Amino acid sequence: MTNHDGADRLKNILMRRELYAVLVILALLAFLFLRSGIPIILTILIQVTVFAIITMSLNLEVGYTGIPQFGRVAAVIAGAFAVGAIPGRIMAMFMGLPYGAEYASDTVNFRLVPQINSLLGSSWLMSLGFLVMCIVVAGISGALIGWLISRPAIRLKEAYLGISLLAFGDFFMWVGHNWKLLVGGSTPVKVPDPFIVFGAGRFNVIVPVFFFIALVIFVYLNKLTRSPFGRNLRMLRDNDLSAAAAGLNIVKIRTQSLVIGACIAAIGGGLYVIYTGSVAAIGMTRLTFTFWPWAYMMLGGIGSNVGVFLGVFILTIFRTMIIIFRSQWFGFLLAIGIDPLWLEFTLLGLVIIIVILFMPHGLIPARIETMLPVNRVKKVLEQRQ
Amino acid sequence: MAPWLSSGLIYASGLALTAGSITLLYIVTRTFNFAVASMATIGFYVVYTGVTLYGGLPYRYYPLVFIIGAITGLICYYGLNRHLLNRKAAEITLMMSTLGYDLVLLSLIQMYADFLTYNYKLFPRRVTMSLFDFELFGDRAAAFILPLIAIGFLTILHIFLTKTKFGVAMRATIENPVLASASGINSDRVYLVSWIISGGMAALGGSFMAMAMTGTPVMGMYTIPLMFAGAILGGLGSIYGGILGGMVIGLTEYAGVYLLAQRFGPWVLGYRMGIPLFIMAATLLVFPRGLSGIPLAKIIKSLVGQKRGDSA
Repeated sequence: MTNHDGADRLKNILMRRELYAVLVILALLAFLFLRSGIPIILTILIQVTVFAIITMSLNLEVGYTGIPQFGRVAAVIAGAFAVGAIPGRIMAMFMGLPYGAEYASDTVNFRLVPQINSLLGSSWLMSLGFLVMCIVVAGISGALIGWLISRPAIRLKEAYLGISLLAFGDFFMWVGHNWKLLVGGSTPVKVPDPFIVFGAGRFNVIVPVFFFIALVIFVYLNKLTRSPFGRNLRMLRDNDLSAAAAGLNIVKIRTQSLVIGACIAAIGGGLYVIYTGSVAAIGMTRLTFTFWPWAYMMLGGIGSNVGVFLGVFILTIFRTMIIIFRSQWFGFLLAIGIDPLWLEFTLLGLVIIIVILFMPHGLIPARIETMLPVNRVKKVLEQRQ
Repeated sequence: MAPWLSSGLIYASGLALTAGSITLLYIVTRTFNFAVASMATIGFYVVYTGVTLYGGLPYRYYPLVFIIGAITGLICYYGLNRHLLNRKAAEITLMMSTLGYDLVLLSLIQMYADFLTYNYKLFPRRVTMSLFDFELFGDRAAAFILPLIAIGFLTILHIFLTKTKFGVAMRATIENPVLASASGINSDRVYLVSWIISGGMAALGGSFMAMAMTGTPVMGMYTIPLMFAGAILGGLGSIYGGILGGMVIGLTEYAGVYLLAQRFGPWVLGYRMGIPLFIMAATLLVFPRGLSGIPLAKIIKSLVGQKRGDSA
């Protein structure tokens, strides 16, 4: 019985931590709402959903499979570039507009996209179809890139693997920056907007739609990690030697994890460019799309999807606060010519350091997941007695 | 000297020092030091500040660069790395902690660049350091001096590691930490010294690289994959391997881009980063543990054995 009590108490503590995190988030949101109004809340919510998707995919690879994924940006780039390059071209092709190499050229693109937008704006069904097409295209290209990267990378271990993934991620950014045909090279390419139908209320619609997509991915990942496949992943993470001895195909499972993770991250990247309305290759840095997601994940708790969500929420609010209040709170820096925006990097670095030093398991530590729900296990045990 | 060769030599000696710094720290503390990126940039800014505000040749400031780099290493050791090493943290945790430190340093560098712009009316965000160089034998002096400094530094390091008592203790710790501490070697001090040396090396390497490329606040951040590529190519087994790996990566980048641009046109220049990464990926595919994974002793042994067989 004491065992049960201990488990219950532990559970209560966990519940309380989550509760506190949510309360902090709500308080900060209320504060921002009173100070700056509703648009800033919507921006935060959109960013939270996009980065939650990316960070959850990172969590699948790092938290569940134990792959040091320092090249998350590669998959995000795959999704972003695919959405910037492919769906718009397909629309242009059907509308009889130029869709070849000239689509991405900066002198043509800014005239093409408004035409596509006006067509999308005429029917919400077509807009929905376009959104679905964007997600599918992003997911497929992400999975493809994930598979491609996994080929040379899968045989490496630990730090070697991490560094190779990081290098691949950087390389993709440079490819996008130099290959004009893809997304315009050094000039950004506009992305047709599937939310144009809603006009000025665009953000009001983006938030629930993105939240729904993030929720679907959240549920899917929870199901996946509780399935036999998820148990294989955790076994591989804890001890790859014993996993191999138990007859698991390590290379296959790691490849699957990398491909699923890349696919989800690419969807996140695709949604991000739909929200911003343009793709600039040079903006897809490893700082934004690899290191920030790592910080979110570490703050939230590696291996816990709920924690990841809360981590993204808290840090996104802090980032936004630095941007909003840079002249009010950090005027002393402006006085000597320093832009307070750099504090974002300081925050990122400090969060990583503090989490590692003082709370290595994050806000919401990963729970030991039982194969069956706890209640059912209890019931079975009672029946036996 | 051809322009690509002189630039390549300068760049490669810088990359060699940074790759050596990464390797040194990895073999002593198992830490993959991301902060090398910002330490390198700091090295460049120390030289830049000295040259623009106090005048003189860039070479004058190299001792100062080493000292400031060493201090950044020291701070990282006492503030961060030491606690994690005591805790026996995983390799990935050690790596992430230096990443956090790197980002803090990066933000400080950016602020410093803003500060220079505002207060001294300088342009520290796009700097061509080679303008401050002098001419020697009809070429940039750096192309001769920097490789020499790198070699000199390496020689001193070699003498330090093989001839001094502390150097021998350090090597013992690298070989077998448990046995070394059992025989009374203070491993804490060994870690500290390795952080100091590698911090100084990284800053010095960064100030070298700035002589061949455009100096920017994100210079280190963009080149860190190449520094890692050099260290990994060297196999992370010995400092000399790391230095050699960095040299190879740096020279092949310049030579490769030069040759490819001649053959296919200047559009290749944009993808220059791909060449060293390709070399690294190819090496890792064949030898998943880097160049030190090559069973060199075995190969030599078999070759020697064959020779004996031939002569007999």
